[in-house]
Order: sequence, then C-alpha cells, then structure tokens
Amino acid sequence: MKTRLSPRDFSLFLSLVAVWAFFAVASPQYLSARNLSALSVELAITATLALGMLLVILPGHIDLSVGSGVGLVGGIAAVLVFNHGWPAPLAFIPAVAVALLLWLGQGALIVRQRIPAFIITLGGLLVFKGVFWLVINTHTVPVAPGGRPNMFSLLTTYYLPPFASYTVIALVLVGLVIVTLRARRRRFSMGFETDDAELTFLKLFLTGQALLLFVLAVNQFRGIPLPVLILGVVALLIQMITRHTPFGRHLYAIGGNEEAAFISGVPVQRVVIGAYVLLGGIVAITGLLQTAYSGASTTTVGDSMELDAIAACVIGGTSLRGGRGSVLGVIFGALIMASLLNGMTLLAVSPELKFIARGAVLTLAVWMDVKLAKR
Amino acid sequence: MPSLLEACAITKRFPGVTALREVSFDLRPGEIHALCGENGAGKSTLIKLLSGLHPHGSYEGELRLADRVAHFRSVADAQREGIAVIYQELALVPGLSIAENIFLGCEPRRGLLIDWEKLYTDARLFLTRVGLEVSPETPVAQLGIGQQQLVEIAKALSKQTRILILDEPTAALAEREVATLLDLLRGLRAQGIASIYISHKLDEVFALADRITVLRDGATISTHDRAATSKARVIRDMVGREISELFPRTVSPPGAVVLRADRLNVAPSAHAPTRLHDISFEVRAGEILGIGGLMGAGRTELLMHIFGAWGARISGAVEISGHALSGNDPVTALRHGLALVSEDRKRYGLVLDRDIGFNLSLSSITHLCRGVLVDEETEVRTNQNFFSSLRVKASSLETVVGTLSGGNQQKVVIGKALMTGPTVIFLDEPTRGIDVGAKLEVYELMNRLTAEGKAVVLVSSELPELMGMSDRILMLHEGRVGGEFTRAEATPEKLLAAAM
Repeated sequence: MKTRLSPRDFSLFLSLVAVWAFFAVASPQYLSARNLSALSVELAITATLALGMLLVILPGHIDLSVGSGVGLVGGIAAVLVFNHGWPAPLAFIPAVAVALLLWLGQGALIVRQRIPAFIITLGGLLVFKGVFWLVINTHTVPVAPGGRPNMFSLLTTYYLPPFASYTVIALVLVGLVIVTLRARRRRFSMGFETDDAELTFLKLFLTGQALLLFVLAVNQFRGIPLPVLILGVVALLIQMITRHTPFGRHLYAIGGNEEAAFISGVPVQRVVIGAYVLLGGIVAITGLLQTAYSGASTTTVGDSMELDAIAACVIGGTSLRGGRGSVLGVIFGALIMASLLNGMTLLAVSPELKFIARGAVLTLAVWMDVKLAKR
Repeated sequence: MPSLLEACAITKRFPGVTALREVSFDLRPGEIHALCGENGAGKSTLIKLLSGLHPHGSYEGELRLADRVAHFRSVADAQREGIAVIYQELALVPGLSIAENIFLGCEPRRGLLIDWEKLYTDARLFLTRVGLEVSPETPVAQLGIGQQQLVEIAKALSKQTRILILDEPTAALAEREVATLLDLLRGLRAQGIASIYISHKLDEVFALADRITVLRDGATISTHDRAATSKARVIRDMVGREISELFPRTVSPPGAVVLRADRLNVAPSAHAPTRLHDISFEVRAGEILGIGGLMGAGRTELLMHIFGAWGARISGAVEISGHALSGNDPVTALRHGLALVSEDRKRYGLVLDRDIGFNLSLSSITHLCRGVLVDEETEVRTNQNFFSSLRVKASSLETVVGTLSGGNQQKVVIGKALMTGPTVIFLDEPTRGIDVGAKLEVYELMNRLTAEGKAVVLVSSELPELMGMSDRILMLHEGRVGGEFTRAEATPEKLLAAAM
C-alpha cells in the first residue's frame, strides 16, 4: 500500500506521546524497566482481546460479553486447577472449549434469529458473569495451588531470557524486511503506486528502532514477557486472516455493504458466525492471560474489558459501522488504552476517576469515529 | 455580443484524471444555453467551477465575468455575482415552510428577531414570480418534486440571481411539471435572467435552448445555434461516432437449453400470499431472453428468486445445466454457473468505499487462492484483465468505486459477475442511469457473451431496448406470464397488450 499519513494518524501518535510524557513526569517509575515490562504485558492482554473484537466489528457487529467471558474462562480453569487438582494444561481444554461453544451460540443467535448483536451480547455479559460467579462460588481462586508456579501462572510470569529475546527480535526484524521488500517489488511489478525507496527505508528503520528500544527496555528487567509473544502470534494470525484470506475479504465486504455481499455470493451467515467463534477463541486466550496476571480468579477479573477492547478498536481507526479497520491500528489503540490504565494505576488514581477517564476516552474515540465517517 | 460569463481554455485535473481539457464555454446575456454530454464528460466539473465549488487556483485557465476575470474562492463569492445552481438533488429542509426555506440563512430581521411578516410577504412575491400558487406557510414536505424545484428557483431569485444553472432539473418530473418549468425558464429569460441548462433529454434541450454546447471526455466538442443544428448532430458529437444502429444485436444460433423454470410459484415469505404464479420458461445457450412488464409485474423478483436472494418457493422447479436450484442461496446459484447483475448497483452491487479490485474479485475470491491464502498475483492479473477488457475509466484498480461514474460502476458490477465464469447471466436493468456510450458497450458485451455460448436474461423497462436486444421476449403481468414473443413477432403494441 502507498502510505498516506492522515492528520488522524498524527494526532494518534501525538496523543500517545502526550500520555507517556504526562505519566513520565507525574511518576518517575512510569518509564522504569520494571513498569515498561508490566505495561507490555497489559498491552498484550488488551490488544489480544481488541484484535478479536476487530473480527466482529469489521462485519458491523459488536460484542459486549467478552469481559464476562474473560472472567468465566479464567474461573473455570482456576477452579479445575485449584479445587480439583487438574494439571494446568488439561484444565485449559474445557475452559477454551466452553468459550468456543458459547461464542458459536451467540453468533448463531445473532445471525439466524436476526437479533442485534448488541442485545444478544448484553445478555451474554450478564449471564456469563452470573455463571462465572457460580463457578468460583464468588471466592478468590488462585491459579497456582500453594504458590508453586504451574503452566497457568507462568503464562504471565515467564520471560524469554535476554539472549533469546535479542534473537527473536532480530528474526522478527529480518522477516519484516523481507516481507516488506517482497511486497514492494510485487506491487511495483503489478504497476501499482509504491512508497519511494527512502520512505520504505525510513519506515523499516523506525520500526527497527522501536523494536530494539523495546527489547533493550524489557531485557533490563527479565526479557520479553510471554504474553507479548502470544500477542505477536495472534496479531500475525489475524493479519493473515483479515488481509490474505477470502474470509477476511468477506468480513470487510459484509461491513461495507451486507446486501451487496450477499448477492455477490458471500456466505454472510457462516462468515459472521465464524468471526464470533474466532472471537471466542481469543476470549479464551485473554481469559487465561488476564486471570494469570491477577494471580487468582476473583469476581472482578475481566470487568469492563469489553469497553477497553472496543475503545482500542475505535481509537485505532476501526469504524463501528463496519468495513474499516486494521490490525496495526487496533494494536496502536490498545497501546494508548494500556498506557493510560497503567499510568493511572501507578499514580494510585482512585477507581472513581479511573472510570471517568476510561469513559471519556471511549466517548472521545467514538466521537472521532463519527466525525470521520461524515467525511 | 459580450459574454455574461465565460470559461476560457480551462483545464482541471484530479489525481490521475484530467476532468476538463482546455474547455471553453460562454453564456450571453438573456440566453438559455444547454450543456450536453455523456456522464463523465465533464459537465458537473464545469458547473462546480462556475459556481465556485472548485475555487480559483485549483484549475488552469480563466473564468471571466462580463468585464473582468473572476476569482471565486467559494460558493458565496459566486452567489454574490448572481450565480445560482439548482442541483438534481434538491437542498430544501422538508420540515420548514416554503418561506422559511426561501430565506434560510438570510431571514429578514427586526433587531434580533425574525421579521415574520416581511418574510411571508416577500416570499409570496417570489412565489408569484415562479408561478407557484401555494401559501408560503406550507411545509415543503407537502409539495411534489416539481413544486419543490420551483421553490428552489424562488430561493435563487431572492438572492438577485442573474445566472441560473440547472443540473438535470427534469430527471424526476412528470410531463406537466416539465412544461411548467420550461415555460418559467422562458419567462425568466424575457426578464433578462440567463440559464445554463444541463439535460440528457434532447427533446427538452431543443425546445428550450438558444445555443447548445457539447462536451465529450472533458473537452468542448462543439457549440451550435439551436436553429442551425439537429438532434442527430448533437448525439454524434456526444458519442463521437454515428450510432447507425442503437441496438446492435447480432443473433447467434441458439444451442441447448441451459436454464429451465417449470411452473414456479413463489411468495415473498413462507406464509405470505403468492407473488409469482406458474411461471415457466427456457433459455438456450447463445440466446438473449428479454423479460418485460410494468412496474410491479414481478420481473426483478423472478430473477432474484431463481438466483436465491428472494422469496420462498411454494412449488415448481428450476434447473440450470441439469442441476436443480432451490432458490434460497446465491452461493449455490453462483457455483452452478448463474450470475446476477442487480438493478440497484449501489445497494446490491457494490461495496462503495472499497476499490475496483476488491469489488471485481469479490464473487470469485474463493477461487483465486493458493491453499487458504488469496493468491494476490493471480487476483490482480485477473482483475486487470476485466478492468481493461471492460474499459473501465479509472486511473487504476485501486480507485475507490464510489468515485466512479454510473457507467463505470456498472462495468465493475458486470465484471464481478463475469469473473465467476457463468453460463447464464441475469442482467436486471443493466443500462439504467448510464450514458449512451456506456449503454452501447453493454449491448456489445451482451453480443460477445452470447457469441461465446453464454445465455443472457435481460430485464428492461425500456421497450426499445427490450425489442432491440432480445431474441425472445417474455412479458409478465402481475406475477404471471402475459405472453411470449419471438424477435420477429414483437411489436410495442403486442408487448404492452401482454403487460396490461
């Protein structure tokens, strides 16, 4: 694609810089290696969920139930591990299966009964939360019995050793350069406009700088956290699905004009249900990560995460009407949300103010989306 | 005679396209000057320039008023010089009264408050001038389109307009309203108000205009005095070639039956009353079957049902190349070689904010894969083939479809259907809202398809088109077959009799 930087892209970047600058001044620990490492874990969790949300927003739907789903999945796994003594990997299986089934059900209800996704998933929000609390019996259920690390707790406490971290980042960078150059050559040979060589170099150079900076920072602490690697895999997967498969084309087509997509032979119902099932899988991953990050399954795990995910999507340029949005944008949106939440936690901002700030950011993002849609 | 408004050698470029190339045009005081040309010829760009929508500096060349060069920076600048545009889509507020609409934004005031008395007496004055005898307190929503247009003109007059530009003003008007409008414009001409009149309808142009300018491909082709030219000449200038035959059907010998509908009874939904009754027909390879009928005869519903996008079948059967079609799934229809080009391309045809390539390959994308991933090189190559063979006018495959003219959008929809490699193609009003040249291209394409042995089903509301292009014609009447005619048998009288 030829790069077109819009004022919107700039304002996004500036707001990220502003958020970082503000918290860096307000709290010296904000830019410490330990906190940056924590921030990267929080980013990974928020972004993973937001990428799942992207899949259902692209065809013009929404999901309000993912926060409760996150709690429920983590709760099931935690109860199986702590109360029933299952090995962690075995406990993941029913937890993930439940999520896939629930989202298959929600998708089917939305599509086949033609009930707005907003209503179905609002119901899901309440029902799943109730089931979640029943599962953990409104107690606090630790993810690792007796504090001995298991696969569950390691999800957010394992770090790739520094040397391996450098290697991974180097491999990612080499891969990126190869993919970029190949895509560029291909576009050129097909006669499309391409960025000129300097801009391509600049983009790769800046990306490389950012990756290097990141790995230097986290290696100061313990290395790349596992959730960041998981996000990397999920992001790559979603990028391939949305950009390079017929299924992805169909998602954009349904969001752009559902009737035209139907007449063009897009299996609209199957595609939307498929998007919800994929989202279910991502909710499962996020549920395990978020619960592991909390150390235990408690009634508040997953609270309002659906709103953070939607906000990340919208901040990242996803249209709530469907048909527009990208993986990179969503990750960037998640970075802004995560930076904000992390900073407020660090400053010990009261929960009241946190709610207000979250709401304000969400409203602002949607307002921008509406403004943009008019043009 | 000095000109009132003159465009001298104007060139206007958009990224990738030159919309106007050294266009010259002049309007004399007190004349009605018609502007003709196909869609995409540059008429609307020229109007936008004359009305200040494309500001001074965004084009090359000069715009002159009677005595000086005009530097319109905005629409307001042009309005101050007395230039007003009446667009096809009217810009009135339905909930407000006629008078409020006329003075919207420049209400007469007394201090801070609106002077309602003056507003209504002044409005009545302008309404008399345009010959609209309705109380100025009537809400605009209660008026017909023709009357709303008169309100727009009254609004323009209230702004001391000297030059009135009308863009396809009669497209949505009934015959009687058209006559009223033409009379009004003649009356305004007598009062010294000059008009630029844009219309596809040459009958009106010849009834009204003093001079006629033809644009083609962004260039001025000719300017004629009406008395010194003919419709044939204007059409030739517009199209750039003689249309010796408007409907160039070359009949090819039909082959085997590829589509057969047998006593179809269809209702809109499972428990609704039946809408299509006992419809049977056959289409052969290499044949064009025309389907005609009045509005609501069920033509579109028939096509949409067979394609699998409308209705619930009560009884009957459809077979395509030997496979039964159940009529409830476009995916199956496409797989068995049936493609449909819908009558409403914006609603059912295109994802408007995506590019040409995305739309072209949308129906075929599952077949353009290597493994699970889209093979982008094959996709682009295939797209490029259809893009150039259909002669879509755009800078590249990455042009957003919503920015194309109607004819080019239609080519993209047709290209999408053809890419699926169909044996039977349903074309529902394929030439609606596209210009003469593009129509001809569609007809030629239909010839090419039938020559290749594909079968075409053409639904059209225009009898000349139906009779000109079909090998056989099926007339529908209230959901039933009203008659079937061969090309030789069909006359307008017989067809209409079967439709009514």
